[in-house]
Amino acid sequence: MVVTDKKTELIYCVKIQPVEIDDFNRITKKRYSFDWKEEKGQELYKLQRLDSSEILGLVSFEYIPEEWRIHIRLLTVSKENKGSKKQYENIAGNLITYVSKLAIKEYAELACVSLKPKESIARHYMVKYGMNKTGKTLSVELPEILNLIKTYDHD
Amino acid sequence: MIDKNLNLVEVEDSEYGVDSRYESKINRMADGEALMEARLRRMKNVSGELIVKGKLLQLKFKMEEYLLDTDSDNECKFTDFLSQYIDMLYDKRSHFSEDIDITPVLLSQILNNHRQPSEEFMLRLMVHSENAFLNVCSFQKKSWYQIYYQEKINKMMSNQGEWRSKVAKHVKMINPSNL
Repeated sequence: MVVTDKKTELIYCVKIQPVEIDDFNRITKKRYSFDWKEEKGQELYKLQRLDSSEILGLVSFEYIPEEWRIHIRLLTVSKENKGSKKQYENIAGNLITYVSKLAIKEYAELACVSLKPKESIARHYMVKYGMNKTGKTLSVELPEILNLIKTYDHD
Repeated sequence: MIDKNLNLVEVEDSEYGVDSRYESKINRMADGEALMEARLRRMKNVSGELIVKGKLLQLKFKMEEYLLDTDSDNECKFTDFLSQYIDMLYDKRSHFSEDIDITPVLLSQILNNHRQPSEEFMLRLMVHSENAFLNVCSFQKKSWYQIYYQEKINKMMSNQGEWRSKVAKHVKMINPSNL
């Protein structure tokens, strides 16, 4: 997986790994939008460039095995990477794809990753990541997940 | 294919601070029920080919996970993965044995751990997998070999109690400081 520097157009390989205890001191609400300590006990992952310890994005999620589904609880890029002035492209796309790969590993063709964002930003996820809309819930299933993997996963 | 460079009128914070947590378990279950209905409807339009792609991806990810997990165990992962691989691609295992030009009996012996796979078998499996994964995802040629030997290493390390004392009788220890 890679991110692209918007200014230089340089491409950097990234890694996605579980958040460690020591990370909680630096994933502050000011920079990462939430009090991530509340997510201790949930599946919680960070995205970093391979050559840097800076955390560019975070995601927490929960497995719902009885529905062959993973539900994304919180998702954010770092403050420097929000909106049109972002430094890197594809942070959220990589995080969503990573969760989708975990869903495939667990549930194969039945895999589903869901997200329930505010109505005002739902369209962004539908257009950019091919998400389906059911009520207020957005989801990617097998066909969309295969597309995400093709687009974002270069392993 | 998803267009990563869509020229959207993006909501400024669309990927910053997305809170998607359910307020209660009841909410989650209600959403899950509606979502499941919609998923089942959509699933009807998913082709058999895509379903096999999903299964192959799952197998690939599980094989990768096994290779990263260095904890010793006694499971027969090679034959587990091989059985899954064959069963997702064929209705009958004998058809797979035909395709790689071995007898159904030999395949059965390998799958039941009554016989070790020969090098010829491993090479044919490697070539078969290259074709199967061709339009799905990248698949390391060496994966089956790695799984096979990883399993051997794991078994050997976890069964030290069984072989160590017998082996140690044949090994003389020389203290390097006395040399």
